[in-house]
Amino acid sequence: MTTTPRNVERREPARVMRLSRLGSLHQCRLSFMRQLTRRMAAENWVFSRPVFDIDANGVGQAVYSAQGPDRTYSLVAFAHDLPPEQRSDRVIAEAWDATFALFDGVPTKDDIQRLSRNVPLQEAGRVSESELSLSRANRSVRLWAHVVDRLATGQQPDLAQIYKVGYLMRTTAVYGSGKFGAADREKIADRPEVSAPFQAEMLSVYLTRIFVRDLVQHMAKAKGGAQTAQLDPDIARWLGIGNSTGLGMAPFIVNHPILFNNWIMAREEAIARVRSVETATDAEVTMFREVFERSKLSISWWLSEHPIQIEKLVALNADLDAIAAHLDQTGLARIQPWEHLILWSQTALGEEGQELLASLILEPYGALVDGLSSCMADGNSAAFAIDGAMPVTQVRELIRTSFGWALDLDWSAAAHCARAWYVSEEKLEPRLGERFDEPIADYEQPLAPARDAARAFDALDNWSGEAPVAEFLLRHPEHRHTVRRAQMSRVAPYGEIRDNTIGAEVMPIDMLRAKLSFFGATHFDPRSDRWVRICMYAGAPYPEELGPDTADLWVYPELAQ
Amino acid sequence: MSFSLNEVEATAKRATRGAGYDWGVAEEAGKATRWLCAQGLDGVAELARVLERGFANNLGEHVPIHMEADWAGGMDLCPLMTGALLSDCSHLLQSGPSRIRNLATPAVLLPFAAQAARRQTAIVTVVAGDFIAATDGTQLVLKNEWPAHASVIEVALGDTLTNPRAQKTRAMPDPAAWNMLGRFAHRTYAPATEESRLLGAGAGLSDND
Repeated sequence: MTTTPRNVERREPARVMRLSRLGSLHQCRLSFMRQLTRRMAAENWVFSRPVFDIDANGVGQAVYSAQGPDRTYSLVAFAHDLPPEQRSDRVIAEAWDATFALFDGVPTKDDIQRLSRNVPLQEAGRVSESELSLSRANRSVRLWAHVVDRLATGQQPDLAQIYKVGYLMRTTAVYGSGKFGAADREKIADRPEVSAPFQAEMLSVYLTRIFVRDLVQHMAKAKGGAQTAQLDPDIARWLGIGNSTGLGMAPFIVNHPILFNNWIMAREEAIARVRSVETATDAEVTMFREVFERSKLSISWWLSEHPIQIEKLVALNADLDAIAAHLDQTGLARIQPWEHLILWSQTALGEEGQELLASLILEPYGALVDGLSSCMADGNSAAFAIDGAMPVTQVRELIRTSFGWALDLDWSAAAHCARAWYVSEEKLEPRLGERFDEPIADYEQPLAPARDAARAFDALDNWSGEAPVAEFLLRHPEHRHTVRRAQMSRVAPYGEIRDNTIGAEVMPIDMLRAKLSFFGATHFDPRSDRWVRICMYAGAPYPEELGPDTADLWVYPELAQ
Repeated sequence: MSFSLNEVEATAKRATRGAGYDWGVAEEAGKATRWLCAQGLDGVAELARVLERGFANNLGEHVPIHMEADWAGGMDLCPLMTGALLSDCSHLLQSGPSRIRNLATPAVLLPFAAQAARRQTAIVTVVAGDFIAATDGTQLVLKNEWPAHASVIEVALGDTLTNPRAQKTRAMPDPAAWNMLGRFAHRTYAPATEESRLLGAGAGLSDND
């Protein structure tokens, strides 16, 4: 019997959209940071530092400009002298080591003046339509001191310490899309260089990393004077930018079902395409093996103090050994090698290992995968409108497709609705509370699509199946958001999380990680069940090193020669 | 002050929820307010006028009694609920005009007429006395002042748009109206408590490391 290679389908949403799996996702070729560095290299972007006016105490301002084929974007950075007791990554913080805005173009002196009165205040200030993002960062105190002290005494910093921490500064919020008066996403959505999701924000972080490298050198020089060493580029490259992310991100993926679908679907399509590849060339196999080895090195630097992540890392490291053994045993010379590898992983590995492998097999196949980058933005604003002519039976079917698992759950049982998402009047940040212990239920945000789907499903049962759903919604506007989501699921099969987002056991960090993995983050380090630190751009080329050879695989460290 | 349209949408959505409407309606109100501001109209002031009426306290009286072509409620119709119905039932415009009676703040109906126009890929006209609006979903033509209240409004499919309004990327709402939305929005925020500060956002570990 001959087997003809079959076209492998995308994985089922019911498998992919579980929280534990979303909380095990890894970066891949489609990640937003890698999209940006590939583009900047391919288009020969030019970088400059028109302003660097910082005093010996590390206080002042700097401007970094990135010039693409059509436009220039500039990071306007303000450096501050922050007393340690004020250093907090929490959104309730009011002062930071450094604050930033990404300016659309090259700022004039007046622009910088205006920004200097607002950007350091962050949420308490206002920016304008000329700004694309607003952000801030705090130092990693220990690594900062280590690097400054070493350089100031004419020595290089210790690489082991850099690998361990990964960054000199940690951003917290990076606000885009019209927040605090900044330009709306619509202003830039049609520009090729920033049309993909979060490209302006990723650019702002890329430029922030250059600023931080320059600032640490400047501070070392201020301390060490003539004997100060110049930071070795091979060491500087391992300085990424950290990010501390709290609950604000979790509602985002629930509130943007089509956008989130597009990210997941692009990756699932990429995985399906590679699984469908009939045979792998020697070059493809070699590249995969190399990237696998390099990813092992990256994972060896991934540390966490959080019990759950510690457990996951143990399992992931076991999975790495299992993958290595499997590759040695079976190789990749067979028909549909990637399909066989993925099918094997589903029986042999945990979700961390399965998702790492699913991301890694994409690496040799840029030609098959990278074009999907252009499908990841949400250009489908029409999906917001409800089709009121749709019969009630069809709406119920759509709900059943996404939420069949939720329909029989007892949603009044405390364990299933123990939590409630709410917005605190303090700094207007999203929080997750205990419904039965705190006075928050009256303020609940619509972030429990599964529970709401079950409620709508029951209410629809009392209506004639043929009735247009508009009639139902006229009497039951409380189900309007659910009916909208159900109809969106026709174009966004991966738009809904197939898990309970308000259960006693929910881990918000799973939602954060899903989003951050698409940014291209590595080294997820949960600080609690709702708060995570990550690393961005570690290993990435600085502008003077950026080129076609360095633009993409930087996320996988190479063993020192 | 100049606001981004995203700020307008977010504030309008929260304010509508704070005024007692359901989330799905609030989402629609956010988009509607944004759309009006994108036309250079003060959508914020129009939404504030609607929310001030307090329709949500007795919503059943302010929605059409039935879905047949002539829409009327027990009392003045709420333009958010009526607009949502117009958008949901945009296909009905293909078989003839819809009539709406006693509609409060008809300006707020326009973004929903625009949504209907997009769904039908057509131009939709809204006529109340000598006030005429026409939209293809994106662009808008207005003739004469809109009334604060319309005893009869006719919504129909139309033909052409001449001299549409210039689109705006920022909103400059009336400060009093903006503040009013802020007050309604504030009702959706849970009071800050120390417990919430510590547990709700998941703090605990020091960031001085």
